[in-house]
Amino acid sequence: MKRSVSVYALMLAVGLFVGTCFSGQACAAEKKAAIKTVTVATDATWPPMEMVDAKKNIVGFDIDYMNAVAKEAGFKVVYKNTAWDGIFAGVAAGKYDAIISSVTITPERQKEYDFSDPYTAVGQILVVPKALKAKGLADMKGKKVGAQIGTTGAFEVKKVEGVELKTYDEVGLAFADMAAGRIEGVVCDNPTAANFALQNKDYKARFKIVGEPFTKENYGIVVKKGNKELVDLLNKGIKAVKAKGLDKQFEQKWLR
Amino acid sequence: MAEIKKQKKDQQEGPKKVSIDVGDGAAIPSKEDVGLFTAWRVAFFGAIACIVYLAVFKPDPYVEILKFLPDGIFVTFKVTVLSILFALVIGLFTGLGRISKNKLINGTASLYVEVIRGIPLLVQLFYIYYALSKFVHVPDMASAVIAMAVCYGAYMGEIFRAGIQSIPKGQAEAARSLGMTPTQSMYHVILPQAVKTILPPVGNEFVALLKDSSLVSILAVADLLRRGREYASESFNYFEAYTVIALVYLIITLFLSKLISIMEEKIRAE
Repeated sequence: MKRSVSVYALMLAVGLFVGTCFSGQACAAEKKAAIKTVTVATDATWPPMEMVDAKKNIVGFDIDYMNAVAKEAGFKVVYKNTAWDGIFAGVAAGKYDAIISSVTITPERQKEYDFSDPYTAVGQILVVPKALKAKGLADMKGKKVGAQIGTTGAFEVKKVEGVELKTYDEVGLAFADMAAGRIEGVVCDNPTAANFALQNKDYKARFKIVGEPFTKENYGIVVKKGNKELVDLLNKGIKAVKAKGLDKQFEQKWLR
Repeated sequence: MAEIKKQKKDQQEGPKKVSIDVGDGAAIPSKEDVGLFTAWRVAFFGAIACIVYLAVFKPDPYVEILKFLPDGIFVTFKVTVLSILFALVIGLFTGLGRISKNKLINGTASLYVEVIRGIPLLVQLFYIYYALSKFVHVPDMASAVIAMAVCYGAYMGEIFRAGIQSIPKGQAEAARSLGMTPTQSMYHVILPQAVKTILPPVGNEFVALLKDSSLVSILAVADLLRRGREYASESFNYFEAYTVIALVYLIITLFLSKLISIMEEKIRAE
């Protein structure tokens, strides 16, 4: 009887120890000393910025950029492929430390989360079927236009009166729906639009890009509100990457 | 000898008492079940009280969320009602097919049930919506309804089969001895009686289908869940948005299961 009590006591102690470490309080305190490993979430459905290759590795412009930032700033990165819808909630809940997932820096998002310095600039652009004559979103009145849920593309479509917004879990599903004829336009970041409309072998004969990007947006790395230490570390890395001209190399590799 | 055997078999099969319990809907409250009745009250009025409390005392953001949802609730109902109607038709034919003596019809119906019940609803939705759109263009709402109806039709088919088989053979034999054709006896004698057994589990399926209809949010159908997600993705009020969605679903399913329990009591009283 006594023995079993001590066993329970031991189990309880172990449980408490493990519990405190996983709950993040003690571990966060340890991390404060020096950030060694940073867990980064990305929604790898946004080519060519972040995607899963044939070998199931997460690759893309953002991933190369993040790896370079980590190398320059001296920390290790562990990636977590996370669905976009809820990716922000995860960083707020402490499930990972940062997000690099083509996140546009917007005032609304800055209210809830902290951002690194901008690391690249993009814009929203409209993709339509080849036969459609439209010069921009204003010409899409009375039509259905798709975008990924919770993206700046979706917010832009919503702003235009008379255009019906359809939101998708992944931008690829929006393009699939346009191929199926259920919607007549998709709005997303210009590198991703180019990837789907110009490089995808199924789509390049059927879709076209309309004009030039109609917004100017900056991508930033997202961290939990108040995690200044990580923001400083990321900014240090981004600065070094820009100084060495590595960002130009990545643009050459992924965006040209 | 063969005749005696048959008689014995008939006696065994005689008046069977079948209660079909599917059990994937909300628990249907009945008056005899005192505990559950209270649980239903607590959950139903508790959920309503929660929503009212939140809307009155924390209007920002709860009132905003509640304003965002109504068209989503309408779409959820539309998908559910249309799907259940089609599923009933598919289910009736499948059920009849499953008890058919024609090998081809029986085989087809059984194969349909086996295949559909072996594939998760979410996969079926993706398949009908995205995979088949390569060949046929179906509008989004129709696509969602077809997928739900095809899936639930298989489950309905099993309910119809069990319901029809619950009617003692003597009924059919009596009808035949009055000179009815098999079709007439099915239509005028068996089915009207089977409806009593079939209705409660169908009601249960209705509630289950309403809950499963949240899966169509994956198809860019702007149902209750999708509207909530759109709100959350823009405002980052994840906790608040999903709390309201859960409460709204709970109120709807509890309300419906209450209606079904009233209907069941009426049938039993008849």
